[in-house]
Amino acid sequence: MSGVRLENIVKAYGALRVVHGIDLTVNPQEFLVLVGPSGCGKSTTLRMIAGLEEITEGRLTIDGREMNRTAPKDRDVAMVFQNYALYPHLSVAENIAFGLRIRRTPKDEIAAQVKEVGGILGLTDYLLRRPADLSGGQRQRVAMGRAIVRRPKVFLFDEPLSNLDAKLRTQMRAEIKRLHKRLGATSIYVTHDQVEAMTLADRIVVMNEGRIEQIGTPMDVFQNPVNTFVAGFIGSPPMNQIDAVIATGDGGPVAQFDGQSLSLPPLDALRQGAGRRVVIGIRPEYARPVHGPAEGAVRITPELVETLGSEALIHAAIGATPFVIKTETHMGLTHLENVDGFTIAPDMIKLFDKETGHVLRNEEGR
Amino acid sequence: MTNMTLYSRGDRMFVILNMILIGMFAISALYPFIYMAALSFSSGFEARAGNVVLTPIGLTLSAYKRVLSEPLFWSSYGNTFIYTIGGTLASLAFIIPGAYALSKPQLYGRRFWNLMVAFTMWFHAGIIPFYLNMRDLGLLDSYFGIIIGFAVNGFNLILLRNFFEGIPRSFEEAARMDGANEFQVLWKVYVPLSKPAIATVALFCIVARWNGFFWAMVMLNDEGKIPLQVYLRHVIAELSDDDEFAVSLLRADYSLETVSAAIIVCSIIPVILIYPFLQKYFNKGILLGGVKE
Amino acid sequence: MAGAARTVVAGTAEKPPGRISRIAAHMRREWQIYVMLLPTVIWLLLFLYKPMYGLQIAFKDYSLFRGIEGSPWIGLEHFETLFQNDQFIRALKNTIIISFFTLVFGFPVPIILALMFNEIVNQRFKKTAQTIVYLPHFISTVIIAGIVITAFSPSSGIVNTILGFFGLEPIYFLTRPEWFRPIFIGAGIWQEAGFQSIVYLAAIAGISPTLYESAVVDGASRWQMMWKITLPSIIPTILIMLIIRIGNLLEVGFEMIILLYQPATYQTADVVNTFIYRQGILNGQYDLAAAAGLFNAVVAFVLVMSANAISRRYSRTSLW
Repeated sequence: MSGVRLENIVKAYGALRVVHGIDLTVNPQEFLVLVGPSGCGKSTTLRMIAGLEEITEGRLTIDGREMNRTAPKDRDVAMVFQNYALYPHLSVAENIAFGLRIRRTPKDEIAAQVKEVGGILGLTDYLLRRPADLSGGQRQRVAMGRAIVRRPKVFLFDEPLSNLDAKLRTQMRAEIKRLHKRLGATSIYVTHDQVEAMTLADRIVVMNEGRIEQIGTPMDVFQNPVNTFVAGFIGSPPMNQIDAVIATGDGGPVAQFDGQSLSLPPLDALRQGAGRRVVIGIRPEYARPVHGPAEGAVRITPELVETLGSEALIHAAIGATPFVIKTETHMGLTHLENVDGFTIAPDMIKLFDKETGHVLRNEEGR
Repeated sequence: MTNMTLYSRGDRMFVILNMILIGMFAISALYPFIYMAALSFSSGFEARAGNVVLTPIGLTLSAYKRVLSEPLFWSSYGNTFIYTIGGTLASLAFIIPGAYALSKPQLYGRRFWNLMVAFTMWFHAGIIPFYLNMRDLGLLDSYFGIIIGFAVNGFNLILLRNFFEGIPRSFEEAARMDGANEFQVLWKVYVPLSKPAIATVALFCIVARWNGFFWAMVMLNDEGKIPLQVYLRHVIAELSDDDEFAVSLLRADYSLETVSAAIIVCSIIPVILIYPFLQKYFNKGILLGGVKE
Repeated sequence: MAGAARTVVAGTAEKPPGRISRIAAHMRREWQIYVMLLPTVIWLLLFLYKPMYGLQIAFKDYSLFRGIEGSPWIGLEHFETLFQNDQFIRALKNTIIISFFTLVFGFPVPIILALMFNEIVNQRFKKTAQTIVYLPHFISTVIIAGIVITAFSPSSGIVNTILGFFGLEPIYFLTRPEWFRPIFIGAGIWQEAGFQSIVYLAAIAGISPTLYESAVVDGASRWQMMWKITLPSIIPTILIMLIIRIGNLLEVGFEMIILLYQPATYQTADVVNTFIYRQGILNGQYDLAAAAGLFNAVVAFVLVMSANAISRRYSRTSLW
């Protein structure tokens, strides 16, 4: 099957480097998501794979064949564009058939394939319409149909859902996932939306400023962010980050901040670490809100409660640092408004080096 | 805006006065055409005496009979069609690919090529060198010279280039990933997407060609090749000195005035026929090509 | 896949390729757009740039027999001749006067027209009126001239018919030098004012309706809104159009003049381009006429360039 391999891929516009040497292997049939803030180089990377941008340095192989100098049409990849790039002068069927026509596929074969793809995507009744007469979700499906019909080795998606409203986005997300299960084609998907990344990906690649920060399964990236950037990017709301100093307490290492202290897990890195400056990372989901005095609780200054239905966000502060707790609402809202502290299991606390931002963990990893 | 009944008295006066003034202007724009039509159907005697004002006096078709019986009228009418259709097609054949190439960011020396086009809009060698060049190229007195010699026009080229530049690149990229080459991208994607702009350019060309007269007058000696406008000028400027015509007037129910008017009406009719299309597109065109790099 | 479509080429990691091989690679994958550009470039060279080379006859004693290259250089003799030629001086003077009055009288009319169109409430009336006033723009110069000649004819024309109605003597308009410029400029305004108003109407259409709504709430009359909102909002457009017009100041509609003038009116009607036409095309004095043309073109070029520079400085919009 068809894997994609990027070896030390660099993109530069003149002296300006936007991608700084990326190494990445996409396994056959894998659904890989490139995620990161805008300007992180994820789209550029995708476009280099597509052949729409020159590769400045490095080596790109698809299915073991070097593709650096290959024209987009000869790479056997298909791409779904952010704005769909549907031709307004062609009907849905003609849009789907466009690539096959250019390649001079026999007419009856085109008709059969368009029909099949239309069926897969639920577009059978719309084949004769023009894109202008379709809803956003339908257009999106046509864009996918145009990619699917060519049966490419690799699918590339460039923020395909970002033009849809929130509800449709959720729906289409599920549809893309189903489609991938059904077709099993290697897919590379670019998005700035970490929720999309989490829900769709087999593996997530978090990018920032032209570099890869972390590669891993969604849960891995969520649970074990390798640095403060990933911690702050993945998760909604993102991980709370508090500057602290390590000290030695009665039962092991503790973190001191804002006149309070918090017990930490017994990490190797902390053994002789007294006085070390770190960043504590606490997921809003893992902090348990408390009211009044409680064993080992951290005191917070509550500011407001946002209710989201079954869940609520408690916005608070520790000193000048904002702190968010995500909790369920079955306790009752009045109760939530009185929250003035939280507890956290030590092994749910992440620690990052203050200087480098890298995560601190035991040698054997976790 | 709002409903008229909501207006104050002063506003209502203002609106009505304004309508009257605009109406007068519109009438003054339309009247000469009505006058020409009325003249063309009037008898020569009444026309000469200056009695025709709004409607034909002494209704007759003799001016048209005279015009339509003239072989030169028919040949020049036919020539105008040849120049208009041929010239417009030639213009599009040059301008569409040219504008597409100029719109591509990867074009080497793009600034230079664009400057090369723009410079021709600022500086023209003038009538004489252009004429001598046409003569040196052997293009005087030929259909080909008129059709090709005026094919490219900087304004139209830049208008279309601007439009092409406004088309999202993803259309082209999608086509390219589907395997289209440059010509296919142009023909199957850009041209269909640019129909309004191309129609605008085509209409500008058609109007310019249909109305063009100076260079046809200068470049064409052979009467068999002259377009309608040159023929018209010949009628208006020279028929009065034509003895044969003067003699024919003695026996006829037409005059120089009615014959001129009849030719004018005949040559305006095609413009009136395409005028609805013109109107649809020229607004867009003016704004597209207007004041913009 | 050599040359097909836009193949991507990577600079190899070891060594950046040289300029020539880079261009060669570029041409191999992009040759198609150059093929598309080629006809236009050839056309421009052949029909517009080659005549510029031919302009040298303005400095030569040109004869058809010897050709452009073979004719001897004579320096500025033609220009000296021109500036001693009363006809040329007269043509220059007429060009400036006609341009100036065309600008003064012709420029405000489309603006006024656009403002008036904007005040029409009845949309059908507005559309109809616009359709009619745009029409003359699309009618050829020859026909406009034909209409003018017919309408101003001393014996049969409608204008003299009307004058006769008021008991006035018929006027031989087209043979009277003092009438030429008013008729020429008037016909120009009649033909183009409606069409030129489109640009201003588009600018007016871009004004935010909330400006008018808040003015209505404040109790402004339509007259006040026209003066205080509409007109100030389109001043940038007005300025740009003015600059364009100044840039094209010398572009007198000489085709129309050729059709309307006659020896009796040369004194007020003959402009540089009609002078060139007569001296060059009709009398065969190509070198002298080319010199006159060069003079005209250089002045026009300077005007256009200054107009563009001014526009760039004051309006952030360059004209091209």
